[in-house]
Amino acid sequence: MPEGTICNKRPVASREDLDALLADSNGKKYYAEMEELDVDAEKLWATIQKTMKSRTKTWLDICAHCGLCADSCFLYSVNGRDPKQVPSYKIQSTLGEIVKKKGNVTNEFMRMCMDTAWSKCTCCNRCGSFCPYGIDMGVMFGYLRGLLHSQGFVPWELKIGSGMHRLFRAQMDVTVEEFVDTCEWMVDEALEEWPCLEIPVDKEDADIVYMINAREAKHYPEDIVEAAILFHVAGENWTMPSEGWEMTSLSMFAGDWEACKMQVDTVYGAMERLRPKRMVATECGHAYRATVIEGPYWAGRPDGKPPVECLHYVEWVAEALETGKLKIDPTKKIKEPVTLQDSCNYVRNAGLRDCGRIIMKHIAEDFREMAPNKEHNYCCGGGGGFNGIGRYRKQRNVALKMKREQILATGAKFVIAPCHNCWDAIRDLEEEFEIGIRWSFLKPLLIKMLVVPEHLLPQE
Amino acid sequence: MFTKILFATSGSPCCDAAARVAFDLAARYNAKLFVHHVLGVPSRGFSQVVVDVRTGEKVELDEDYIMWVKDELKNTYDRQLKSGVDCEIETSVGIPHREVLRKARQEDVDLIVMGASTTGCEADADAYQRHFAGSTLQRVAKASKAPVLVVNRPVASFWGGFTNIVFGADFSKASEHAFKFALNTAKELNAKLHVFHAIDIGSTHSLISQKQLDDQMIEARDRMRRKYLIQAGDFKNITADIWEGIPYVEIVKYAREKQADLIVMAHHSKDVSDEDSAFGHTLEQVLLRATCPVASVNRADKI
Ligand code: SF4
Ligand code: SF4
Ligand code: SF4
Repeated sequence: MPEGTICNKRPVASREDLDALLADSNGKKYYAEMEELDVDAEKLWATIQKTMKSRTKTWLDICAHCGLCADSCFLYSVNGRDPKQVPSYKIQSTLGEIVKKKGNVTNEFMRMCMDTAWSKCTCCNRCGSFCPYGIDMGVMFGYLRGLLHSQGFVPWELKIGSGMHRLFRAQMDVTVEEFVDTCEWMVDEALEEWPCLEIPVDKEDADIVYMINAREAKHYPEDIVEAAILFHVAGENWTMPSEGWEMTSLSMFAGDWEACKMQVDTVYGAMERLRPKRMVATECGHAYRATVIEGPYWAGRPDGKPPVECLHYVEWVAEALETGKLKIDPTKKIKEPVTLQDSCNYVRNAGLRDCGRIIMKHIAEDFREMAPNKEHNYCCGGGGGFNGIGRYRKQRNVALKMKREQILATGAKFVIAPCHNCWDAIRDLEEEFEIGIRWSFLKPLLIKMLVVPEHLLPQE
Repeated sequence: MFTKILFATSGSPCCDAAARVAFDLAARYNAKLFVHHVLGVPSRGFSQVVVDVRTGEKVELDEDYIMWVKDELKNTYDRQLKSGVDCEIETSVGIPHREVLRKARQEDVDLIVMGASTTGCEADADAYQRHFAGSTLQRVAKASKAPVLVVNRPVASFWGGFTNIVFGADFSKASEHAFKFALNTAKELNAKLHVFHAIDIGSTHSLISQKQLDDQMIEARDRMRRKYLIQAGDFKNITADIWEGIPYVEIVKYAREKQADLIVMAHHSKDVSDEDSAFGHTLEQVLLRATCPVASVNRADKI
């Protein structure tokens, strides 16, 4: 069978396509169809010739097989130092082979590649900083995922996720109307406690445009109002776009480059339409990576930058605390030992390592660093889509072990995780291993500790 | 008065008492009833797995599962559904309090009916307590525009309508909304309204002198008149009493004496801004002990 009805080389194009995928419990039918899916070797090779950059070629060629990258990969460590988990092996045995064979590979081989690309690498890019040649598997696996996607070999949940982006320009089915209504609703609920609170939508020329992860709009709208409260207290002139507010990209995890471009174009479109001075991104690592780091290339922006200056939430908070826009009541600081999860996506891959420390200095009395930390921190265990793929649940649970050890070693029972994905992984970690920890985003913590100016308080 | 009622249920036996009240109310007042069940809390990032709010198990969210849950609900409320109430059964996925509030907002309902506590319900698993249990009720009550009618126990004194309403007065700002709701309900339904205040002597450690108590009585009587009774206008079916004691005990006793089929109280949203803190102490205790439904009112919007 060249193409299945739901597992095929065509991306999701309609609500019906999406519903058909969603109706397939556990992706059972999907994966069954995948076993019959033809590999279009000619097209695969043509794609490689067209898209494989010289950097990737060079990397594949120059790897000295020295194995120095082995210990840098947390998946290698937590899997009993399995040689099959050495980063260079993982990529040479997959992408390397496809290239060597000029795309002439079997269905079975492609499925092995899929399992490797999505369950043996979280694209955390840690290995890249330890290889003497700077060979970065995260980047190469990202590329391999793209090839696999183009041939239909992509995990079921990610085909859905990517399809959501194509249909709704969000990783979840939230329409413009629903989004705007959610903002109004949240203000409604908060007004009593926060008189004059606003979530200005589509305000032009504001200082800040705030963008989020669709899960906030869909399931945790409190997060939006918490951001609003903090902007309100900080006296910011801010707004949210009615369209283009979603900055995550499951299509990036899926390797669906076309959808990546569609998504980021929508986000940049909002920036261009509203002309804010800066963009502040919510507490999400991969959203930041998609919109700020990789997005400009998908969108083909010549300067390699988004249309406006972009800040991750930790940057905005650090700045607001340092400049005194937000003030913390010293008696309300976190007293117990607390540690911080450095997200690979904005710490290792965007250099924002100091912001977290500045914030901790303001809000915590007993901040404990994980070891290693900052740009050397390990992935939470669930990055790159790992968290959400049922097929790789077992492997993901093993992957959590590194973070478990790191957290336990700090002696802290409380973890701050300003990244949705890391937050999920840490929640699952507790569920899986029951080590007695709690976890939180920054926003709710900050609100509890704030010094609120008299005039913003409700009058009795 | 009650044209749209939202009954938020987990489908488990701990909601049975609330179900009875919800259906009876809808039948009596010809209201449209939305039976809403939150299937599960989304888990695993963007995956399709949810944690079932009743069992705490991870389930794959697909059509079969949703159909199965809906059928279960239909079976559970089979008898009531046959009574001819205009009723819609609906499920959603999400954080329970959020989805209940979302539905209430969408349909602009006049009343939300819920069970109070789910602890003690066999099916209670970890996830259920973490995500639903008391905290769902608390959060719904805190943010809801519509009064939230809580039915905790099989109610002895509820026969499908309201004839004796007790309003627990505490002179706070929030209690003004609660009073309006109680008054309007009494007027519309032609019920008796008993305004009641308990002077709190339970929390004073030393003995309270008779003089002090008399003074407090006089003051309370005065406030009762100024704050509430005056609003009743020519509505004559209203009485007022002031007792002393531990407020929640007195309210429950008073309600029993008056054969109340509804107790109305203010919610005091500000006291529960912290998710760990329970309801206002008095309200929580009344909820647990009252043998009739208790309405928690927090806002003026739907009154
Ligand atoms: S460290 Fe670099 S050169 Fe050495 S095996 Fe790993 S990828 Fe190859
Ligand atoms: S990117 Fe991260 S997970 Fe992938 S091979 Fe390198 S270190 Fe391992
Ligand atoms: S989920 Fe967090 S820790 Fe894991 S790879 Fe992504 S950013 Fe890094």
